[in-house]
Parts: sequence; structure tokens; C-alpha cells
Amino acid sequence: MRRLFCLLLLPILMAFNDVPLADPTLEARAQMLMDEIRCVACENEPISQSGAEIAGDMRQRVRMMVEAGETDAAIRGWFADRYGEFVLFRPPATGASGLLLWGLPFGALLLGIVGLTLVFWQRRRTRGDAEIVPVAAETFDASRSSDTSLEN
Amino acid sequence: MIEVAHMASFLALAACLVQTWYGLRGNRAMAAGMAYSAIGLMSLGFGLLIWSFVTSDFSVALVSANSHTFKPLAYKIAGAWGNHEGSMALWCLVSIGFAAAGAWRLKTGRREFEAKALGVQGAVSVGSLVYLLFASNPFLRLDPAPLQGNGLNPLLQDPGLAIHPPMLYLGYVGFSFVFALAAAGLLEGRIDRDWAKATRPFVLAAWVPLSLGIALGSYWAYYELGWGGWWFWDPVENASLMPWLIGSALLHSIIVTEKRGGFAAWTVLLAVLAFCFSILGAFLVRSGVLTSVHAFAIDPLRGSLLLAGLMAYGGAALALFAWRAPALKGGPDWQFVSREGALMVNNLVFFVTTLTVLLGTLFPLLAEATGRQMSVGAPYFNLTFAPIMAALLVILPLVQSWSWGAAKPDINWLRGVIIGVGIGTLTLFALWRMGLPLGAGVGVALGLWLVFGSAQELLRRAITPKRIFTLPMRVWGMSLAHLGIGLFVIGAVVQTSGRYEQTVALQAGQSVEVAGWSVTLDGVSSAEGANWYADRAKLVARKGSSSAVLYPEKRYYPAARMPTTETAIHKTGFGDLYTALGDRREVNGNIIWTFRIYYNPLIDLIFFGVFLMALGGGFSAFGGRKVSITASEPAPLAPITLEPAE
Repeated sequence: MRRLFCLLLLPILMAFNDVPLADPTLEARAQMLMDEIRCVACENEPISQSGAEIAGDMRQRVRMMVEAGETDAAIRGWFADRYGEFVLFRPPATGASGLLLWGLPFGALLLGIVGLTLVFWQRRRTRGDAEIVPVAAETFDASRSSDTSLEN
Repeated sequence: MIEVAHMASFLALAACLVQTWYGLRGNRAMAAGMAYSAIGLMSLGFGLLIWSFVTSDFSVALVSANSHTFKPLAYKIAGAWGNHEGSMALWCLVSIGFAAAGAWRLKTGRREFEAKALGVQGAVSVGSLVYLLFASNPFLRLDPAPLQGNGLNPLLQDPGLAIHPPMLYLGYVGFSFVFALAAAGLLEGRIDRDWAKATRPFVLAAWVPLSLGIALGSYWAYYELGWGGWWFWDPVENASLMPWLIGSALLHSIIVTEKRGGFAAWTVLLAVLAFCFSILGAFLVRSGVLTSVHAFAIDPLRGSLLLAGLMAYGGAALALFAWRAPALKGGPDWQFVSREGALMVNNLVFFVTTLTVLLGTLFPLLAEATGRQMSVGAPYFNLTFAPIMAALLVILPLVQSWSWGAAKPDINWLRGVIIGVGIGTLTLFALWRMGLPLGAGVGVALGLWLVFGSAQELLRRAITPKRIFTLPMRVWGMSLAHLGIGLFVIGAVVQTSGRYEQTVALQAGQSVEVAGWSVTLDGVSSAEGANWYADRAKLVARKGSSSAVLYPEKRYYPAARMPTTETAIHKTGFGDLYTALGDRREVNGNIIWTFRIYYNPLIDLIFFGVFLMALGGGFSAFGGRKVSITASEPAPLAPITLEPAE
């Protein structure tokens, strides 16, 4: 109840002046969360950047919850429940969509590495012990004899 | 007057049609003649459009919607492309311009190929012109003509942003000519070293302005939007980043094609994709499918037309690719530990990161299709894009000396230890000096690693330090670009993790502390310009013996009925003290002004790094022009025999 009362007062008191938390580690955590939560009144800004009044309230809420010892997940969850998944700039890695979103970059990288290795291995198998003549990348000396045959 | 411009554009369309016809039939002379005619006609059309902005001819609908008599001349001119229709006219002009440049500069000795490239570029121009004249016509009259115009979006009245769109368009449309060269090569069935040699300068001619255009946009967002940041992973930014990433993959891959004849099919595929991503970017920005801070002219019909164009041109090119690519020949065999192998890894990473940006950008759309509203923002890209790209940058200094075919990495342990200790000491010093968190040390060390690596490679290539200035331009280009990445990484990491920010409300006479600077509000006065008036705050900043006076403003443009933030920045040498004026409030009779005050350490390195990359690209583009003395292949090193595979 007291917390609710604070929340009601906050827009009046706090909108002008964000008071950082006294503990720098907690404040850093709050800042990180504020970068991840989207302002509901703006086009595409996190609440940490927004000048809108509601963003100020949301910042204060984040700080309060951090100070109260809530976990990051609980804080994100609270905002998602209240304003919808839309406010999370960092969607959770759960469910089919979360797996797709978070898995695809690393999956594609892994697939690329495995695929190219297999192709490479296969090619070496078929070509066997061919002799390869290494050619140095362009250096000072090589530039003196770079391919004029191709010069336009 | 504007009717003449309208007519000239239709004639340019006709010229491009004829250019396509003759070009695809292999008649280079006729295609070139048509390209020259088209550029003449389109320059006339675009010139007259600018003229109606300069003379404030409000009977032209576009001028009345986007200009105003009180606007400074430079922004009247820039106003011609500071809107959807005008920017499409610029797009057409650049597209036709690249055809003319190709007609003039392309000398491969293969006239059929050149003619076909001009033909395909003609077809691209036809598509752009049809879109311009039938879906976004800038040449329409307004009757009756209003006495005054609506003005240009004041955010766009800025030198950085006046040249930002032309730069981006040189990039986007430049990739259309690379696309044309790829299609012509496929039609001829010859994607070989000659093709790569002819195409590479055009890849850079697109990539360099695109890099500069993105950097300008980023710098503009930094000092004009008043948010203190420089990259927001906004959909519009991503739309320009994707062609840049694919273009970066392409400019590495085409080196393999040029030097060894390898990667031919892959290079061509990237050339096609770079153009597809450019159109996709235009689609994302113009269709309004993605809400964004700075998208203008949102219209679903235009979006669907762009999508149709993307499907038509991209589909045709991919079909051509599928038909012709299997017949393309590869280069000589190579081991994994070789320059080819290193560039293959480079391309894998650039491709995967492009996919990541694409997924992150389109994901909210996909989610919406399934009835969910989701956002993907900076935290996602910082956790996916950044580490994957960082992995590539870790490898870069190790592999850039590798030779073609097979490489024997010579590991000099002594030098390794010296470099390691040097980087470690510098990193720790930077962390201590700037009070950065320990985690930032990884990024700073990575940046220094790239800087050292680039310098060391330049020295190695020169063999003796004296010869460093006679090295080929291409080697300089590569080293400068990689050095630029290093500086960019250092700037980005230090700025992101070491920045201070504070939003404060001050009365006249009150002070606030930001990063050791004590900032005092002296007062707020009124100011006036040609087409705006403003509240201008006077802030006095002091730190030790140094002091600075800053004048952040909040401007109002009555014609556009819109406020803008004019930030005031003090460069301290190590970073920016950045101030932006916010709202005015009255509390108990006292007037209070809100300010956002930031300290952004080393932020200039970010923009300077990108500038070096672009400069390196420019050097590299001219590298092929060096006159050689003797005609022979580079001297081969001692042969290495591969051990038989098991």
C-alpha cells in the first residue's frame, strides 16, 4: 500500500529529476533494464532515452523493483504483464518464436561452419594430394609485377 | 517549367527503354548513346525540379508541400530530395547516372558484355522511372497555387542531413549497377577474373558513399535528435545496414574472384543480393510496414509496388543465377589455411550477421502476422550481431598476411608476446583512466588488436619501413579500412560503457555534476533565425582549470509547427560534453528547465573509424589503376605438397 502511494506521488515529484539509486551496482542493473524496456508513448525508444512523462514513471518503477530485490526476469515479467510483450526490446528466448529469434543467428553460423567443413573435406577427398602453389598477397615487390594482362 | 521537367523524364524513360533493347541485343554504341541521352534528359528534369524549389514556385504541389519562402537557399535546394517524390527522382537520376558512368568508363574489351550491362541497368532505370512517374510523381501542379508553402521538416534542415540522402542513394543505386554487371556476366556465362576486375571499382563506388551516408545519418541522429546516442537499431537504420553488410561481404569475395578466379558463383550471388537488400531497404522505409522514428511518406500502395519490383528484378536475377551459375568455373585449388579460406570465413560472418539484422528487423512483422505484438531492439542485436562480428574481428589480424592457395602462418612468439603485453597495458591504462567497467576491457583490447594488426601488416607488406609509401594503393586501402574498424570498436565500446548521462531540471543559477564537469545554468533567452525562433540556454561548464560555455536550443519552426532540439557539444579532446534543452515548467512560480546532459567519451572515434573505412575503400578502388612495369604473375612461394587425405 505504501508502495502504491509512492507510485502515485512519483509523477509529480520525480518527472523532473531522475534520482539514481544510491548503490551503483543496483543503479547499473536498473540502467540495463531501462535500456531494454520500450517507452509506450514514443515511436521506438527505450524508457532510458525517452523524455515522455510515462517513461519517467516507468524508470522509477524499475528502480523501485530493483531496490526491492526483484530479479531481472520478474521485473521484465511485470512490465510485460502490464503493458504487453511489446514493451520488451529483448524478447524472451522461450517458445517457438523465441527459439527462432535467438537460435537463428548462432544456428546459421554453426550450420555454415559445419556445411563448409563438410564440403571442404569432401573436396579434399576427391582431389587428393594435388600440389598447391601458394601466391603471396600483394606486397611491395609483388606490386612491381602485378598482372598487367588484366589492366584496363 | 515543371511540365518541361515532366516531359524530360518521360523522354528519359523512353531513352532507357531503347537502351535496354539495344543493350540486351549487344549493341554497345547505341546503348551508350541512349544512356548519355537519358542522363541529359533526367538532369534537365531534376534540375528544373530544384529550380522550382529555388524560386519557390508553389504551383508545383511538391514545392508547396515541402518548401517555404523563408527557408535558407541551401535547404530550398536540399528540399528537392527531402521528401518521398523528390528522393525517388534523385534515385532515378543516380540510376541513369551509373549507366552513363558505365558507358563512359567500362572498358573491358568485351563489348557484348558491356552492352548487356548497360541493357540491364537500363531496365533498372525503367523500373525506377515507371515508379516515379506513375506512383510518386513530383511534377504535378496545384491549382490554385497557395501563397506560401508548408516548409520542410525542420529536422531535415541540417547540412548533414541535406547530403545524407544523396550519399545513401549513391550506395543503394550503385549496387544496382553492380547487379547489372553481374547479370550481364551471367548472360555471357563468364564470371571470371576480367569480370571481377571490371566490377570491383563499381562495388566500391557504391560501398564508399553508402558507408559515408550511414555515418552521416548516425552523426546527425547524435547531434540533432538530442538522445545522446549514435545508433539505435532502428528499422530504418537496419534497412541501410543490411546492404552495407552484404556489400562488405561482396567487396571481400570479389577479391578472390579477381585474384584467383574463385568464389565466382558466390560473388555473383552477393552482387544480386546487395541490390535486393537495397530495394528491400527502400520498401521497409517507404511502405510504412515498420514504425520508425524517421520514416517519411508512408503509403501502402507505394510499398506494394516496391515489393513487386523487388520480386520482379530479384526473381529474374536469381532465376538467371540458378540457370547459369552451375556452369561457372572455380579458381585453382586451395587449402583451408589460405587467403581464400580466411575470406570464406569473412563472408560467412558477414552473411550470418546480415541474416541476423534481417530477422531482428522483420521479426515484429512476423509476430504481428501471428497476432502478437513484439519488439526487437538494441539488446537483441548487442547479444547476437556483436559477438558474431567480434569473433571475425579477433581472427582478422591473424589471417590478413596469409597467401593465396596455401598459407604457412609464421608465428613469431616474441612479437606476439610484445604485442600482447602492449595491448594489455594500454587496455588497463584506458580502463583506469576512464573509469570503465572491466568487461569493457575485452572490447578495448579487441580494438587495439585491430589497430596494431593493421599497422603491423602494413609494415610487413612494405618489407622495409622506407617503402611504406610506395606500397600499392590497395594495400593502403585495406590497412586503413581495418585500422578504421579498430578505432570504431574502441570508440563504440568506450562510448557505450563509459558514458554518463543525466536528465536534470535546473533553475537559473543551479548546477549539476556530470563526469567531473560542473554545469551551471546561467539563464535562458530568446533567439531568432530566418524561419525559426528559439529558447536558448546558456550553460557554463567547468572542470578544474578548463571551462566552456554551451548554448543548447529548443527551436520552433512556425511554418512546420514543430519544435527541434539543437544540442550544444563541447569537445574536450577525449570526449563530448553533450547538452540538450528540454521542456520549460513552472513549479510554485519558479521557472525550471529540463536538460539532458551527457558525457560521451571517445565518440569521435566512431565516426572517424567509419570515415577511415570509406577512405580505405576509396584507395582500394583506385588500386587497379596502377601502371605495372613487368607483366608476370606475382612470384610464387615455395610449393607445399598436401598430405594425402585419409
